[in-house]
Parts: sequence; structure tokens; C-alpha cells
Amino acid sequence: MTLEKLEKMAQRERERQEKFERRVFCCISTACLSAGAGRTINALQEAVDACQCKENDVEVVQTGCMGLCSRGPLVRVEDKSGEPIIYADVDIDVSQQIIAKHVPMGKLKDESVSEDVQEIREKLKKARRRKGLEQRILDTNAPFFAKQEKIVLQNVGHVDPEKLEDYLAHGGYSALGHVLQNMTPEEICDEILRSGLRGRGGAGFPTGMKWNFVRKEESSTKYVVVNGDEGDPGAYMDRTMMEDNPHQVLEGMIIAAYAVGASYGYFYIRGEYPIAVDRIRRAIRTARRNGILGKNVLGTDFNFNAAVRIGAGAFVCGEETALIHSVEGKRGMPRMRPPYPSTSGLWGKPTLINNVETMANIPPIINGGADWYSRIGTEKSKGTKVFALAGQLTNTGLIEVPMGITLREIIYDIGNDVPGDAEFKAAQTGGPSGGCIPAEHLDTPVDYENLNKLGSIMGSGGLVIIDSTTSMPEFAHFFMDFCVDESCGKCVPCRVGTVQIRTLLEKIIDGRGEPEDLNKLEALCHIVKATSLCGLGQSAPNPVLSTLRFFREEYQTLISSQEPT
Amino acid sequence: MITLTIDEKKIEAPPGTHVLQVALANGIEIPHLCYHPELSVSGGCRLCIVEVEGYPEPVPSCGLACTDGLVITTHGERLHELRKNVLDLLISDHPLDCLICEKAGDCLLQQYAYEYGIKETTYTPTISSTLYQDDNPFFIRDHQYCILCGLCVRICDEIVGVHAIDFAKRGFESNIATPYDGPMIESTCVFCGNCVQVCPTAALMPVSRKNKGREWELDRKTTICGYCGVGCQLEYALKEGEIVYAQASPDGPVNGELLCTKGRYGWDFAHSPERLTRPLIRRDLAYELGLSSEAWEQPDTSPLAVKQPKIEDDFIAVDWETALDLVASRLAATVSEHGPDSVMGLSSARCTNEENYLFQKFIRVGIGTNNVDHCARL
Amino acid sequence: MKNSSESQANKKHFNSSDHPSGDERFKVIDRTMKRFDFEKDALLEVLHATQESFGFLSNDLLIYISSQLRVPLSQVYGVATFYHSFTFEPLGKHNCIICTGTACHVKGSATITQALSEQFEVPIGKTTEDGLFSLTTARCLGSCGLAPVAVLDGEVHGRQSPQSTISLVKDILARETEVLEQGEPG
Repeated sequence: MTLEKLEKMAQRERERQEKFERRVFCCISTACLSAGAGRTINALQEAVDACQCKENDVEVVQTGCMGLCSRGPLVRVEDKSGEPIIYADVDIDVSQQIIAKHVPMGKLKDESVSEDVQEIREKLKKARRRKGLEQRILDTNAPFFAKQEKIVLQNVGHVDPEKLEDYLAHGGYSALGHVLQNMTPEEICDEILRSGLRGRGGAGFPTGMKWNFVRKEESSTKYVVVNGDEGDPGAYMDRTMMEDNPHQVLEGMIIAAYAVGASYGYFYIRGEYPIAVDRIRRAIRTARRNGILGKNVLGTDFNFNAAVRIGAGAFVCGEETALIHSVEGKRGMPRMRPPYPSTSGLWGKPTLINNVETMANIPPIINGGADWYSRIGTEKSKGTKVFALAGQLTNTGLIEVPMGITLREIIYDIGNDVPGDAEFKAAQTGGPSGGCIPAEHLDTPVDYENLNKLGSIMGSGGLVIIDSTTSMPEFAHFFMDFCVDESCGKCVPCRVGTVQIRTLLEKIIDGRGEPEDLNKLEALCHIVKATSLCGLGQSAPNPVLSTLRFFREEYQTLISSQEPT
Repeated sequence: MITLTIDEKKIEAPPGTHVLQVALANGIEIPHLCYHPELSVSGGCRLCIVEVEGYPEPVPSCGLACTDGLVITTHGERLHELRKNVLDLLISDHPLDCLICEKAGDCLLQQYAYEYGIKETTYTPTISSTLYQDDNPFFIRDHQYCILCGLCVRICDEIVGVHAIDFAKRGFESNIATPYDGPMIESTCVFCGNCVQVCPTAALMPVSRKNKGREWELDRKTTICGYCGVGCQLEYALKEGEIVYAQASPDGPVNGELLCTKGRYGWDFAHSPERLTRPLIRRDLAYELGLSSEAWEQPDTSPLAVKQPKIEDDFIAVDWETALDLVASRLAATVSEHGPDSVMGLSSARCTNEENYLFQKFIRVGIGTNNVDHCARL
Repeated sequence: MKNSSESQANKKHFNSSDHPSGDERFKVIDRTMKRFDFEKDALLEVLHATQESFGFLSNDLLIYISSQLRVPLSQVYGVATFYHSFTFEPLGKHNCIICTGTACHVKGSATITQALSEQFEVPIGKTTEDGLFSLTTARCLGSCGLAPVAVLDGEVHGRQSPQSTISLVKDILARETEVLEQGEPG
């Protein structure tokens, strides 16, 4: 299929969508699904069917995450006559109220409809009189929405993740069409480099530079791998992107492949994300059927194909060399770098590995241009970052904010403070590889460098808020337990060191700690950091070190309270 | 050639080599537990870390490719501290029973602990695996001593090509395992014992080694393996003249550090009372030749029917001169009486190429027949 | 038992597409291996397929995979034990997974696990003696907005407490005993 045909498809879909007076979007992302969105969307559809309204009056659309996961299931109504309205906590009753309010009830065309339909019509009539729907409406001018800037998630929550046409109608694959027709691989890499995009997997390596490394390798075979092994407990940005807008990630991947000269690509997805696996597989299949993947992509002489590989429950496989081993069907143990995957990756061939969010950033950058993108963010960290906001906050969910926003804005404005009587204590970023940031540093602008300075990392984007009820030594122990469990066992400092750190923490928590244990713990953490083989071991002590730095008195209290009497 | 500087010494190295390899070749010692020149690089033990100019943190030298102008420091205060701490961690997961351990004196971990002055671990001793497997007659697997360097796994996979063992589980709980931790005999193991040889600790020990004394009590005898014509060099460790175990020596020109199961474990015949050490002549023949004064007749009963036949019942020992003369004269008589084709020569795979060449030459030219063959064809 | 094996044998006689082992589930493994042209790097995918169709990885299954893909058995075992998604014992008829991710942890998922373990007398990661109920944990299921989260027989339940999860499990187990009582004549 050529680009023109694709544009025609997009045009057709746009026209089809515009015909509807109103469209009702129901989030079917994992968080909302577990809150009962499956029942909600069925109820919406049943209610719409029962209305028996005019053709092109209303359409119920399944879509992705709208952000405020803690209030799910979320439903958005886009009516031609007014502003879009988002409803929260939509159960079956509320969904009937919504339809009753927005959709005019049509006359029964056929008197012999089933009793079920009659019953629903009765319920809808009653629902129209019921009050309280206003309380479910979310204020889209509230800081939770107003403070966000959506680039990566722009179409998430608007497109049907299972429909290629819908993505096309939202401008999908136009970036791919543009680069294939108008840009050389070198120009693409330069564009990405100029945009200032840095790897969203955690370390923040400049993406354009990485692309150039792979592009310059001389090899007949090269690979692109999208790292969707989002293992940080408390993070689910990548899952959302793969589930809710798989084509955007796929488009980024195809552009990357064209830029570096790869002909085959893999999505490596966590086994715990069956819906993401399913949606990406479906996206690949549809793309292949429509000539976006396979031989002669969009009628050009560029060939590219992609497949999915499923992880099997190993956090360390997020590390790129371990990931390579896992794709090759081996134990996911990291190896020493160099050689970097850009020179010797999958089966010894040059391989580009980028995180899901990084790939999802590519189409907007190509569409908007490097200059537009690099105006967002701070001097060294450009663009936006998606965070999974979780823990003790009123508003939890998925947010996208410009780099450089302060933690205070995220927590108090977007997150709307800690609920109840408890007080904010720390913000944990970067999961088991990150650290805890206390209240006095809340005005730090969030970017790669600043978080590093605070002994934490950007990580993939988990942001867990802890309130005063959590004991920091115990929290550090929780992460160390995770690292012990997830260490691959290859290098000594990580295999044995994490166990010894955990033992020391247990000793302190159990009240058997001695004054010199704190120094011992700190020294051991530095040893493990300095001598471990891969990123997992090198960053495993971060939660302990950062809590020792900012909450040392909690450790000291545990030790001194047990002094012999 | 690449020129790099190691400890202020300019060293030339061929392209594609690694720093540790080059340092060792130039007599610069860097401690290492998981590196072996014949095997792929692992980088897990973290002892061979060195400081590289321009790098913020020390890096392991085993996987560091030599590049032009590289400046390396192999020893220093920080490196010493880091290595000592890594060893400390290793020892926290290793029994400190060197007093009764047969590997003492040959154990690399013990040697480094000595060099870095570690008496005991400063951490809480925690043994990760206490599995003890003595399921075969050749070697014992005692997992508490295992430091998971993976040399055994790599030699089994990369050189022997059997892949009988691999890492199982992960993290602190991981161990080197046969499938389902089953007996070795049920795995694909061929019992070549090369894993035992590369094991730096007492995790893999020959069964024959048990209770047979300490390393420094043993004498060493280098010899050539007699099992086949390859001519592997091997080294017997002896106590009071008796073999305790066999191993290959790294500088063996033919086999390096490798041996097969016969060379490594098939030496128990050496001390067998049934071993033939001198030529024997049948008693009736000896009487005929005047070598014995006793007349003797072969008994009617089949030798197969006799339980545990005693050699001295049927044979007497003679010197080599006599034996060779007897064989030569009998052979000559047979050839002259029945012609050369009445003789056939069958030689052995245990002889060298040169010996086999001489033997066929002797049969073809000396005897004059082409009736010559070799056991390896059977 | 006997009846079902007989009927299987009969089916085998009439339907040549059956798997020679008599166990249809092997077909899933075979299909996966075929899809990957019996390449060695398919090992992880094949193990996934096996785990899915058999519920756990038995010794015989690993031997079968090893011989079909020509990967050393020790390596198959090593890979299977490395990844936590694979289990070596069959799970119970009903399975409850408690998320132990960070968000769930700070909202008290550990107390739920503990309470379930005590209430149903089953150690974490194990199955009750009657084989009806397994209690397992998982590292972050990605439903952090609804923490703490429990997954009961594949259905996600958010904002749980020890009491609410216990009653959910009790309901399921109660239905099980009802079925048993109805199933038995008299």
C-alpha cells in the first residue's frame, strides 16, 4: 500500500467519525478494566442500542488511559454541541445516567423488541430523573489536567487501540510517510539528536547519538529492539502506551529501523502484560496487512518486519545485554559492555535498543520538528516525561509533564496532596534503582541531572508517594528484598552484596543494630555500586543510600532505642 | 600491534586481545577467579578490576579490549580496598574450614584471602547452597564451596561440547546444576573431569582425593598418558609413590589443561596386583627351554572355568632378552615353515603414530605380509 | 479416569491428527516450535506455551522440548528456573495473586498476603493440600492506581483489604464445596 492510499483511509475514517453527533469514549486500559470498565462499556453499548436513536447519532468507542486511574472507570463524552466531559467512577448505573443525559431517546422502530431492551429503556427513563451525575464530572481545568502537557500520550484516550484507521485519522503514520519520502537516514538521526531526546528507560543516553552509532556500523544485518520489559514495581507507562496506542510505538520503531538501516525488529514485552502483548501483535498484523510492515514499506524499497518476544518474569531483562540474551532464548544474564549492543547485539549484530516511551516520542518529534520539541523541558533534558503516579496521593494515575516541572507541582497540584491526616514524607522515583526524595527537595525541577544529584534516578517513570506512616528502613528493606530476588547471580557484589545489605537492614529493623552498622551499611552500598557488573547491581543500593542520606535519624532511632540498659 | 601502558610499562599487544590476558602474559599478576584463557569471558568475579585513565570507575580487565594508548593501573589503594571487599563478600558465602579442606594449598580463594589479609568475613556468614552430591565414582560436587565462577559450565559447553551442567535458578539461590539437580550419571556428562580441573575451590574434587593428604604432601610426576596415541601430557599427584589423582598441566604441548576420562581417572591399574610388569612364559615352554626345572602340563579345565586364575600357576617371569629371543625365533620358524602370510600383525591405538608406523613396516618388510591391522578399526 | 483414557484411545484411532502421545496439549507445544522453525532461540516462547497449556513444567516436558529444539537439557532447565513465570508444580484449582509492587506495598499488600496465608493455612507460593487454592505473589501488575491489588482466578480486584480478599476467596471456595456436594449422589 502506498502513502496516498493510507491517506485516503485516514480521510474516510475522519469523515465517518465526524458524522456522529456525539461519541462516548470508555477507557479499557488495565487499571480501568480492573475497576470494572468491561461491565461499563457493555452497559454503555446496551443503553445506546436501547435508545434506538437516529443513525450517526452516537458511537461508543473503546479507548485508552485518560490519566486519572484512581477514579476509574473513566468515560468521556464528546458532543458536537459542547465541551468534552469526563465522568469518573462510572459503574453500570452511572453509565445509564450518562446515556440518558446525553442521548435523546428515539421512538421504537419495531414494537417487537425483546424484554431486555424494554427493561433498559425503562431504566434509562428513571436514570434521567436521578440526580448526582454532576458529582461524577471531572473538572478538566483542574491542575491534574491543566498542568500536564501531552505529547507522547496525545492520542492515548482518544484512539481505539485496536483500530488502525482511528490512529490514521489522528495523523498516524504521517511521520513515517514523511521520513520515507523526504529524509535520509542521516537527516533523521540528526533531527532526533537536535531534538535533545534522551532514553526514557532510565539512564538518559541521547537517543540520536545511539541511532548514529548503529547507523554507522557496517553490517548487512541490523536489528531494532523495543524494550517493553517494564519491571519497576510501581511503573506502568510503557504498558499503557503499548496497550492504548500500539501503533504509535510501532511507527517510532519503523522510523528508527529506517534511520539505522535495520530490517528486523523485536518487541520485548513483560509476560505480566498480556493485553499489551495482544495489542502489539494485533498492531503488527494490521500494519503488515496494510503494507506498513514487510517488503516495500509504503511502496518504497525499504523492507522491515517485526515480531513480539515475551519476557518471563525477570526484572534484570530490562538491562539491554540481559534482554538480548532473553530474546535469544537464554538465561537473562547481562554481560560486560563494551562491546555495546550498537556494535554487537542480537546474534552479534549491531542492534538498536530503545525503550517504549522513547519510541513513542519519535513520531511527534518528526511531525513537530526538533526545534519545537527542544523548546520543551530544561537545558539538558528536553521534552516531556510520563510518570505513573502512585502511592499515598488523592489523584493517582498516569501523567505526562514537561521536564523541569517541580516535584511539588506534581505532588500537590496534579496529585492533589496526601489524603487523610497523614503527611507527605518522600517521593520515590526510579523504583528499586532510585531513591527517596524528602520534602525539603520538592522544589527541585525534575530532570535527569537533578534527580541524580539527589541520589535517585529518573528511571522509567515510577513515582510513588510515601506518607508519614511508612518507616524508611523498612521501605529500603522492601526494595533490597526485591533486588535480592531479581539479582541474576552472575557477579559477586550483586549476588552476595545485596543479601548482606538486606541482612544488615534486618538486623537494624529488628532492633539488633549496633552503632557502627550504619557506616558498615553505607560502605557496603558503595562497594556494591562500584563493583557490580550491570545497572541492576550498580543502582540496587540507591534506595538504602538515599534513605540513609535523608532519613538517617530513623535508622539511628532504631539502633539507639535498643541500647543495653 | 597495539601499544598500551600497564603499570607504567609500555606493552605491545596483538589486536583483539584483552588487558588481563596481556598483563598475565607479561608477568603482571592481577587476581582473577572466573577468567580462563581458553574460555569466553564472564566478568562475574570482579577481582580483576583495574583503573583506566579517563574512566570514572574501575573496570574488569578480563573483558577490556586492548586499544592503542590505553593507560592501566593494576594495583593501588582503592583497587586493593575494592578487591578486598569483594573477597570478603565471597568468603561470607564460603565455609572457612581450610583446616580440614583437601584443596588447601591449591585453592585460589584461599590464596587471594591470604594476599589480601582476610582472616574471616566481616559480614554475616551465609552459605547459599549446602547441596552435597557424591553420585558418581569420579568426582564430588560440594556446593557450599562453589563461588559460581562458571568455569565448569563454560568448559563443559565451549570445549568439551557436552553442556551437562548449567546455572540454575538465579541470584543468591543459583547453583550449578544438572537437570533437576539429578545424579551426574543421568545427565549427558562424559566424566572427563575437565570441570574438576578448572574449579578454583573445593566445589569439585576427585573422589580419589578424599582423605589422601594435603596438597603440599603430594609429589608430582609429569608423564605422557598411555591410553592412546594423542600423547597428552599429564601430571600424577602421588603420595608415598601411590597415585592420588591425575591432572593435565597447562603447559602440555598437546592437550593443555584438558584430559579425557581415561587419562584422568583410568589409572587405578597402576597399583593393581594383577598388573603385568615383566614378560611371562608359559610353564611348559619354560621347561622345554630349560628355564624351569619343573615339568608342567596345561590342565584340562578351561581357563575360563577357573575362578580367579593365578598367573604364577601357569606362567613364570623371565627377563626381556629371553622373551624377545623366544618370540623372534618362534616367529622366524613360523614364517620359514608356513610362509609370511601365516602371520598377522595387530597393533594398538595406545601406541603412538611412530610406533604404529614402525610396526606395520616390520610386518610388511620384516615378515613380508600385508596382514596388518589396528584395534581402532574394530 | 479409566473412561476418559479409553475414549482418548478411541479418538486416537479415528483421528490421525491427534498427537502421538495421546495428550492433545502437546500440539500447542509442537505448533509453537513449528512457528519458530525449531530454532533454538524459540526456547523461551516454547516454555511459555508449555506453561500455558500444562499449567506447569514437568521433567518430561523439559526433556521433550530439549530433544525437539536440540538444546541441552541442562540449559533448558537453567532457562526455565531463571524466569519466575515458570512453575514446576501444578497450581491449585483457584489461584490468588497478591501484587507486591511498590504502590501496593505502601498500601499494605503484605498484610493481605499474611492474612490469606493464615486464614487458609497455605504458605506463600504454595497450594493447599486439597489442591483447591494457591496463594502466590507477583511483582507489580501495573494497576498501581488501584493499589493494593489482588487477582483472583484472572480477575483483578482493586483497593483490597485483608477482610475483603478473604471474603472473595471464601466465596469461591464455598461455591466449590457446593458443586462437590451436588455432584455426589445421595
